[in-house]
Amino acid sequence: MAEAVRELKFRGGGFAPGRKRWTALVFFALVLGIWQLAGSRGWVSPLFLPSPLAIFEALRAEAISGNLWIHLTASLQRIGLGWVLGTLAGLALGLAMGLFTLARSVGLPLVSAFFPIPKIALLPLFILWFGIGEASKLVTIGMGVFFPTVVAAYSGVDTVPRNLVRMAQSFSLPYSAIVWKVVLPGAMATIVAGFRITVSLALILVVAAEMIGAEYGLGAFIISAGHLMMTDRLLGGVVCLSILGLLAGTGITLLERRLLHWR
Amino acid sequence: MQVIAEAIGHDYGPLPVLENVDLAVREGEVLAIIGPSGCGKSTLLSILGGLLQPSRGRVLLKGQPQADCLNPLTFVFQDFALLPWRSVAGNVELVLEHHRLGSAERRRRVADALARTGLSDFAAALPKQLSGGMRQRVGIARALAVRPAVLLLDEPLSALDAQTRELLLEDFESLWVRERTTAIYVTHNLSEALRLADRVAVFSRRPGRLKELVEIPLPRGQRSGAQAQVELAALHDRLWGLIRAEAQSAVTELEHG
Amino acid sequence: MKRLLLGAVCAFSLTVGTAVQGGVQAADEITVAALTFVSSSPLFIAQERGYYEEEGLDVSFEFFRAAQPVAVAIASGDADFGVTAFTAGFYNLAANGSLKVIGAQSREEPGFEFSAYLASNAAWEDGLKAPEDLPGHELGITQRGSSFHLMLGLLAEELEFDVDAVKLTTLEAVPNMMSAVSTDQVDAVILPGWLARRIEGEDGGRIIGWVHDYTPYQLGGLFTSSDNVEERRDVVERFVRAYQRGAADYAEAFHQFDEEGNRVFGEEAEALIPIIQQYTDATPDAIKASASYIDPEGALDVGSVYQQVEWLQEQGLVAAQADPASFIDLSFIDSHFNLPE
Ligand SMILES: Nc1ncnc2c1ncn2[C@@H]1O[C@H](COP(=O)(O)OP(=O)(O)OP(=O)(O)O)[C@@H](O)[C@H]1O
Ligand SMILES: [Mg+2]
Repeated sequence: MAEAVRELKFRGGGFAPGRKRWTALVFFALVLGIWQLAGSRGWVSPLFLPSPLAIFEALRAEAISGNLWIHLTASLQRIGLGWVLGTLAGLALGLAMGLFTLARSVGLPLVSAFFPIPKIALLPLFILWFGIGEASKLVTIGMGVFFPTVVAAYSGVDTVPRNLVRMAQSFSLPYSAIVWKVVLPGAMATIVAGFRITVSLALILVVAAEMIGAEYGLGAFIISAGHLMMTDRLLGGVVCLSILGLLAGTGITLLERRLLHWR
Repeated sequence: MQVIAEAIGHDYGPLPVLENVDLAVREGEVLAIIGPSGCGKSTLLSILGGLLQPSRGRVLLKGQPQADCLNPLTFVFQDFALLPWRSVAGNVELVLEHHRLGSAERRRRVADALARTGLSDFAAALPKQLSGGMRQRVGIARALAVRPAVLLLDEPLSALDAQTRELLLEDFESLWVRERTTAIYVTHNLSEALRLADRVAVFSRRPGRLKELVEIPLPRGQRSGAQAQVELAALHDRLWGLIRAEAQSAVTELEHG
Repeated sequence: MKRLLLGAVCAFSLTVGTAVQGGVQAADEITVAALTFVSSSPLFIAQERGYYEEEGLDVSFEFFRAAQPVAVAIASGDADFGVTAFTAGFYNLAANGSLKVIGAQSREEPGFEFSAYLASNAAWEDGLKAPEDLPGHELGITQRGSSFHLMLGLLAEELEFDVDAVKLTTLEAVPNMMSAVSTDQVDAVILPGWLARRIEGEDGGRIIGWVHDYTPYQLGGLFTSSDNVEERRDVVERFVRAYQRGAADYAEAFHQFDEEGNRVFGEEAEALIPIIQQYTDATPDAIKASASYIDPEGALDVGSVYQQVEWLQEQGLVAAQADPASFIDLSFIDSHFNLPE
C-alpha cells in the first residue's frame, strides 16, 4: 500500500512586520473621510470636533495673514536652539558618565532624581530664575532634551564593545583619539535613537514653554486657541506640530542612514 | 626585541589565575602557548602586551625595536576587533593616524599591508561585507602596518571554520618564513602550534604555571616531509599527554567541586 | 459615557417619580458646575439655606479649577447650571448656540474694590502712577481674551488710548502674574484686589487704581444650556428664583457701608461667612476682601456684555458671528438693565 503524500505546511510566517506605504495612506484617507463626513453631516458639534476642512480653513486663514509663518519661525527657533543646547549639554554629561567614574557616580543619581521632574511644573521657577523672555523657554525645552540625551549617551558608550577599546589601547591610540574614533562612533546608534525621542520631546515642550510670555509661537497659538475655545485653530496648531514631528522623524532617519550606513 | 616575564602572578579578585610565570621570548622566535581552557593564557598575553597590570612580578623589554616600528607590542585578536564603521583600509589606517607619518608614507603602509594579506581589492569594503577569514586578514594587515617588534596573537584562528583556518595558517607560515617577526601565539590547537612555533610553552590548569617548554627543532616550512612528520607526531603525542593530564584534572576538579 | 450614565440616572428617577405618584413629588436632580470662588456665593447660599429644596430641586455641585471647564461642562450637557467670569472663550462657546446667559455673577461696581491695576516698583519709579500711564508699558495678563485682557480693552475705550500701545505678556496663571510683577519682569498687572493688596503689603508693587473707578462692567454671569431653556423651562425658572434669593442674601450681607463710605460686615455677613467658607476654603478675612458686588436680583448689565463682545470681536478674539442677543435670555429675570435698544 502506497504511503499518502502530503505537502509540507509552511510554518515560518509572521513576526516580521514590514511597511506598506499605500496601506497607511488609504487608512489616513479613510479616517479623514469619515471625520469630515461626521462634521458636515452634523453628527458631532463643530466645537467639539472641528472637521478636517474647518481645520484646514483655520490654518489657511493664518497662513494668508502671514501669522502662521511668524508662529512657525518663532517656535522653530526655540525648538532648534533649545534642542541644540540640551543635546550638547546632555552629550557632554552623558559621555563623561560613560567615560569617567567620578562623572558616573555623581551623574547617575542626579539623572535619576531630576529626570522624572515634570519640567512644566518648574516653569514658574524658571520664570523667576530666567525671566519671562526667551531664556526660560530655552531652558524648558533644553531641560526636557537634556536628560534623555544623557541617558542615551552614557548607555551608548556602555554598548561600545570593550574589545574595540582594548584594541585601540593596544595600538597606543591617544585617549582623545579613542574617544573620537572608537567610543563616539560606537555610541552613535544609541545617541541617534535618543535624538528621535528628544526631538519629539522638544515639540511637546514648546507648547509648555510658550505658555508664558510668548507673543508668537505654535505653542502660544495652540494655548491661546484653547482658551478662546477656537477648536479649529487649536487642532490646526496641533496638526502643524504633527507635521513638524513627521519631518523631524524623517530627518532623523536620513541622519541615521548617513551616520550609521555601516550597520 | 625581547620580552621577558619575571615571576608573573595574577589574581582576579580572590581567583588566582597565574602563578610564578617566568618566560623569556627570544628575538625572532614564534612561541606558542597552550594549556587547558581558563588557565590564564589570555591573561598572560594581556600582561605581556601591557594591557593588564599583573598582581605580581614584572615584564621586561630588552633591546630596541627596528627603526620603522610604530607599535612594538602588537595584538591580533581572536574576535578581530575591527571597527564596523570603517572600511578595510580605514581600519588599517586607524592605527597609523596618530603617528607622525606623511600622508604618502601612511598610504604606502596601508597599501603594503593590504597587499601582503591579499586584501588590495577590498580596501573600500566594510567589515560586514567580508568573510570571517578575510576579517582576520584585516586584523593581521592592521598589525603588520605598524611593523611590530613582537606580535601577540590570542587564538587568532579559533573563530574561523576549518578551511579558512588552514588557509590563514599557510599565510602565517609563509609570513614567518619570509620575515622573522617575534610572535607569541596562544592557541588551543596542537597542530597549529606544531606548524608555526619554535617553542611550545605548556601551561598547567588554573592557576596557570609554566609546566614545560618544548622545543621544536625543525625549521618552519620544512615540516611537511615524511621524516618531519614522524618527529612531529612524537612531539604531538608528548604535548598531548601533557595537556590531557591537565585538562582531565581540570574537568575532574570541576565535577567534584 | 458620563452623559449616558446621567441619562440613565434621569430615566431611572423618572420611572421612580411616576411610581410614587400621589406621594411627595420627587425633586428634580440638577448639577451645578462652579468654581470655589466667593463670586459663586449665591449658589452656595441657596444650597445651604434650602432655597433649591424649596423649589423642588435636588442640587449637586461639580467643582472645577478653572473657568473654561465650567462653561464646557454646561455646553456639553455634563452640568445644568454654571457661574463664571466672561472671557473670549466663554463668548465663543456661547456663540456656538449651546448655552444661554440667564443671570448675573459679580460686577465691577463703583465703591466695591474688586480688581486693581498694580504697577511694578520699577515701573512706578519710572512714572507709571495711574492707569492713564499704561500706554507704552508692558502688562502681564493670563491669556488673550481673559478677563484681565478685557479689562484693559474697556480701559482703553474709556480713556481713549490705543490698546496696542500697551504691550501684552501672557503669563498663563495668576501666580505667574504675581511673581512677574513683583520681580519687575512686567510693568503692571491687573489682579484681584486682595492679592494686589498683599503684594503691595510685601512691597512687591504699587496699586495705581481700581477697575471699578474706571470701567464698571459685568464680570460674569449665570448660564445654562440651551436645551434646558427649551425643554425644562420650569426647572430653569425655579433655579433662577433660588439663585436670586441667594444673591439677595449675599447683597444684604456684603453690600453694606458705614457713614464714611467704608464697607462694613455685620451680623448678616458673619452668618454667611461659614457657609461660603465651607465651599471656598478661604479665611473670613479673605472672604471679606474678595466679596465682590453681586446684583441682589441677579440682574445683568446687558449693555456691558454687548460692549465686551464688540471689543473682543474687534480684536479678532471672538467669532464675528457671535451675537449677544442670541445667547442672552432675558426672560427669566425682569430687572436686567442697560438694555441696548
Ligand atoms: N576580567 C576578569 N575578571 C575576573 N575573572 C576573569 C577575568 N578574565 C578572566 N577571568 C578568569 O580568569 C581565568 C583565566 O582567564 P583567561 O581568559 O586568561 O584564560 P584562558 O586560558 O585564556 O582561557 P581560554 O582558553 O578559554 O581562552 C578564567 O577562569 C576566567 O574566568
Ligand atoms: Mg583566552
